[in-house]
Amino acid sequence: MIDKNIDQLKRLKLRKNAEMRLKVYGILSISLALIMLATLMISIGLSGYSALQQAYVKLEINVDSKKVLDEKGGFSNQKALLVNWDGIVSNSFITNFPEITKRSEKRSLRALMSSNAGYELRQYFQKNPDDLDENITIWLSASDDFDQYMKGRFNTSVDEKDRRLSNQQLKWIDFLAMEKISKLKFNTSFFVNADSREPESAGILGAVVGSTLTLTITILFALPLAVMASVYLEYFAKPGRLTDFIEVNINNLAAIPSIVFGLLGLSVFLGFFGLPRSAPLVGGLCLGLMTIPTIIIASRASIRAVPPSIKDAALALGASRMQAALHHVLPLAAPGILTGTIIGMAQALGETAPLLMIGMVAFIIETPDSFTSAATAMPVQIFMWSDSAERAFYERSSLAILFLVGFLIIMNSLAVFLRRKFEKKW
Amino acid sequence: MVDKKNNLKFKTKNVSVFYGSKQAINKISLDIEEKQITALIGPSGCGKSTFLRCLNRMNDVISNCSVNGKILLDGNNIYSDEIDPVLLRAKVGMVFQKPNPFPKSIFENIAYGPRIHGIGNNRAELTDLVHHSLEQAGLIDEVKDRLDDIATGLSGGQQQRICIARAIAVNPDVILMDEPCSALDPIATAKIEELMSSLSKSYTIIIVTHSMQQAGRVSQKTAFFHMGDLIEYGETPKIFTQPDQQKTQDYITGRFG
Repeated sequence: MIDKNIDQLKRLKLRKNAEMRLKVYGILSISLALIMLATLMISIGLSGYSALQQAYVKLEINVDSKKVLDEKGGFSNQKALLVNWDGIVSNSFITNFPEITKRSEKRSLRALMSSNAGYELRQYFQKNPDDLDENITIWLSASDDFDQYMKGRFNTSVDEKDRRLSNQQLKWIDFLAMEKISKLKFNTSFFVNADSREPESAGILGAVVGSTLTLTITILFALPLAVMASVYLEYFAKPGRLTDFIEVNINNLAAIPSIVFGLLGLSVFLGFFGLPRSAPLVGGLCLGLMTIPTIIIASRASIRAVPPSIKDAALALGASRMQAALHHVLPLAAPGILTGTIIGMAQALGETAPLLMIGMVAFIIETPDSFTSAATAMPVQIFMWSDSAERAFYERSSLAILFLVGFLIIMNSLAVFLRRKFEKKW
Repeated sequence: MVDKKNNLKFKTKNVSVFYGSKQAINKISLDIEEKQITALIGPSGCGKSTFLRCLNRMNDVISNCSVNGKILLDGNNIYSDEIDPVLLRAKVGMVFQKPNPFPKSIFENIAYGPRIHGIGNNRAELTDLVHHSLEQAGLIDEVKDRLDDIATGLSGGQQQRICIARAIAVNPDVILMDEPCSALDPIATAKIEELMSSLSKSYTIIIVTHSMQQAGRVSQKTAFFHMGDLIEYGETPKIFTQPDQQKTQDYITGRFG
């Protein structure tokens, strides 16, 4: 044993205590962060999970093929336009209640079906023309209030005249549910549709595709520019006032509020270049401008972290500076650049403000199919849904948030995975 | 003009190097003979590495470094505008203090230089070249079965010999070595020294070293640098046994440095 005098022992104890305290603080702050994250995710999850299901009503329907098929036996869009699909749906729906004869009652009964149910029916026959002339059983969407009531999210304690569903309507729904004519089924339309005025047919796909197209442009635009800029700044720029000025400004750019990039995009891309409004192309360019400084900062840091001996080795072999950078330094800096890029992309994915300025806040019912077609993005979709009056949009925005967070988690895990994979070589 | 009589490879005249306003070496004039080993010795910060890095213009990379004076390689001024440093460095290879193989396979390490200079156009030629270079570096028996392994996984001495083989592969005239053994153990050092002696039959070697024993063992000529000045330059045995200058005497007997 080493002899210790009292003074030393005291100091040792103090030091150990300080260390313990620091450890406890660390654990506390981490747990606090985790608890907050869990609370957030659980509350969003609880309000959003029910959007995975949707109330459907079973209907018996027979449609005469002569009404919709042309002479060759193909589905005729022109003829289908003239068919009263909504009428077919409500007539079939009303047969569940033979006792109802009054017009006003019939109307409030019809309101229980989604106003898009007729369209759904038409779509079904367009896909399956063989089912025409047959008695078929088909599940069509109920209205959003019907849906909310079946999920127990409809507040019945409110005075009847202030409610969107009357007591009579609620009774009908109870009856339909008891007879198993209406059921909660998996909400496919949420995953295959774009936006809609009716919550029951609104889906996230349009926004997901819009975000994907936008981010594709962002990465194609930002990554090469940012990497080239950082290689230039690290390897070719002569130190001096100009370089310092550029450096300071890049750091400033990273701190500029994102809406400013939206304004820039509005005046430059839309105003000056005349690019189409609401297009993923413009959105991607705006977000790219916003992401470039982030990637430059990360790339420069990781290029600087590559040992200079590697560059020296390449130069001493007679490689040019460009070859040394491209063949040796960039591959070694790639994991860092990649991490920076994905962090920048994740930031861009969650960004709404620049998109507001260039018109990507729009009600778009078609899933975008090109970089120049009108589109919206996931955060914007969430923003618009959370702004809607219908209660059913509330759960849909929560589910969309879960989707967005899921995307972010996937992107970040990808960053970690790729970094691990490339780092093994070193 | 090439001075054939003495077989001079490098002729330097009044070479001074400045880092910003700080002078690192002062008017060095030194002639280096072909296919011999020339050692540059001296205490830390005496400018010997700076001088070495002038010979293949590696100082160009340092932004505030300026070189005055003349350095002739085979009679051509290497600092003239017509000389591209990229081609110069293919003629004058370099091995660094710390082994710095690329974090790639052994094969790729050796093949990189030839590839960028357009030597060895097809795979077979390149393979031959890699084998030949490794053979010259005395490494072929140790690595011939694992050419696809990552070079950074080898031992320090092997890595340094990979670096030598990599320098040889582009077929240079001169190999500059900047304290090539200072990061290695005595056994690896002995191997490198042995290798240097055999390489000096075909290449001009200039080595910077901290170890006077090493300079004594491997070199034919030795130059002693001190505080940026060339104090003495001559046949190695003479420098180590009867130097002309008092400073040289003090340094090699260990009175300072």
